Amino acid sequence: MRRREFLLGALGALAAGGCGVGPQSAPKPVSQPVTRPKIDGDLLIFNWTEYMNPQVIRRFEKRYGVTVTVSNFDSMPGMMAKLRAGNRYDLIFPTADYVARLNRQNALRPIDRAALENADGIYPFFDNPWYDKDSAHTVPYGMYTTGIAWRVDKVGELTGSWNDLTTEAARGHTFMLDDFQEAIGQANLLNGFELNTTAPEELEQTKETLQRQKEYLRGYSTNPAPNLVNGSAWIHHAWNGDVVNARNQSKQPENLRFQTCSEGIPVGSDCMAIPANARHPGTATLFIDWMLDPEIASANVSWFGYPMPVTGSEEAFAKLAANDPEIQITTDDLANGQQFRELDVEGKKAWDRVWIEVKA
Amino acid sequence: MTSAFWQRFLVPGALWLLFFFLVPFVIAVLISLGENNEFGGVTYGWHPEHYADALDPLFAPVLLRSVGYAAATAALCLLIGYPTAYCIARYGGRRRNLLIAAIIAPFLINYLVRTYAWVALLADEGLVNSVASSSIQFLNTPWAVIGGLVYGYLGFMILPIYASLERMDPALIEAGKDLYGTPRQTFWHVTWPQTLPGVLAGTVLVFLPAVGDFVSAQLLGGPDTYMVGNLIQQQFFGADNWPFGSALTIVLMAFLGLFIFFYLRGAGSRERREALI
Repeated sequence: MRRREFLLGALGALAAGGCGVGPQSAPKPVSQPVTRPKIDGDLLIFNWTEYMNPQVIRRFEKRYGVTVTVSNFDSMPGMMAKLRAGNRYDLIFPTADYVARLNRQNALRPIDRAALENADGIYPFFDNPWYDKDSAHTVPYGMYTTGIAWRVDKVGELTGSWNDLTTEAARGHTFMLDDFQEAIGQANLLNGFELNTTAPEELEQTKETLQRQKEYLRGYSTNPAPNLVNGSAWIHHAWNGDVVNARNQSKQPENLRFQTCSEGIPVGSDCMAIPANARHPGTATLFIDWMLDPEIASANVSWFGYPMPVTGSEEAFAKLAANDPEIQITTDDLANGQQFRELDVEGKKAWDRVWIEVKA
Repeated sequence: MTSAFWQRFLVPGALWLLFFFLVPFVIAVLISLGENNEFGGVTYGWHPEHYADALDPLFAPVLLRSVGYAAATAALCLLIGYPTAYCIARYGGRRRNLLIAAIIAPFLINYLVRTYAWVALLADEGLVNSVASSSIQFLNTPWAVIGGLVYGYLGFMILPIYASLERMDPALIEAGKDLYGTPRQTFWHVTWPQTLPGVLAGTVLVFLPAVGDFVSAQLLGGPDTYMVGNLIQQQFFGADNWPFGSALTIVLMAFLGLFIFFYLRGAGSRERREALI
């Protein structure tokens, strides 16, 4: 008898749990409480890999006597899938276009800037960004651009164009980012199209460009730093921080270079945000404030290689960019450069199709 | 003992199948028939068109490539795994269990991490090339992908073959020799048929996960080593299209199910099938 009861209970729990695996109906609007920056437990961070200086985290732990756990995702859809499944994180790092999406689902807690000690240091550019009205739910974190990283000892100088991805001398030693947005984006720019174009005849031409570029490739990867350092890649479609990362790992950092491309520069920014179902939003808010401290931000910038929009951290990045200004990115670039936007359903389908046809 | 008593021992296995096969399978089918909503989630419904998309001829080369890599993997695992299992079973003596434990030891470390280790070892300026002062390109080739698969799944070949070798009565080999069989004849007429169930089990256990693998192709592969696992993974974590990813999964399962059915039916007698199951 008891066994049967247990079985039914287990089945019930499973059925309930099963519904949480991905499928979600539209959210209902809820008013969420504002949180004070105050320790209310240990911190669980959900972030990209190698996207925050571990030393900064250790110092936070020591200062406030809490344990910080870092869990990693490797793509925005991967992050979304975990959130949809009901996993509870205290602090997440979505890109701008995904902030817009999370906000429509009321999935983020408001962050009261007035409660943060260091909020005044955030660049005013982010006071009311396109992805988050009045910056009510986010604090900007990293700014990035996409370009080409290369080994100057192997291929010499490049020309500053996306055409450098098809450099004859690096045939079979060239990698493209294994990211459909970035890959299609650079081919769009190379062809003189809008970064986010969904026009069928333009995408057809972009597909042909990608297929032509594929003949020069050794592979698709989202790990530019190790590929460049271990010699498999001589030319690598990469983000600006990757080259800093690669230099930190390399014995000959002077061989590693980065360029942005004249046909167009994809730029973007991402954020720190607190999910609505966070267990410890107080600690998360405190941690955000901690990251905005100019000294902490500087330590973080020197390590992860991307500029933070925080007054007082510029010098740390200037040191990194001293020998190659191309990794620099400013809020002017964000205003003028091209940013990936959310595509409509049909447009998204067309992009997915291009990517499958290129890779299959 | 009544048979009702013994039937109770089926309960744990049945529960296992129910929770870890049937329920996830039903969920996958439901998702595959659903529709992608704005938030990347799934709204349930009746949308069989994902199956039409999944049968697009565009995917035929991807599937054939995956089956080819997996078949090569199974064959190489058999070539490496059989002699290994044989040596341990026949000549391992009292160290047998230790040797088997050594075969299993790498599985204590995550497959993904071990594959990253191969990248560090075999890169153009990696450890192997710098020790040997060579500049051989090992990585980003179909061979690297197959090598990664063999490395990842070899244990699944060795263990069942070892089990069938150990179960075998050594007196049978002596009997073969007493009947003037050469070592080669004895092996092919006595040992091999006795261990065939283990070989069949090992082949299936290696082939199935290898077809659906995406780690090896993603980390060790080149531009033309896209496998069906990569395609499915891309639908879940790149394109954020779970219904299509699920439909691809179900189609792959159906295909592999048929494949294994005919393989086992063609592979031998009823006893062998029973030994396998």
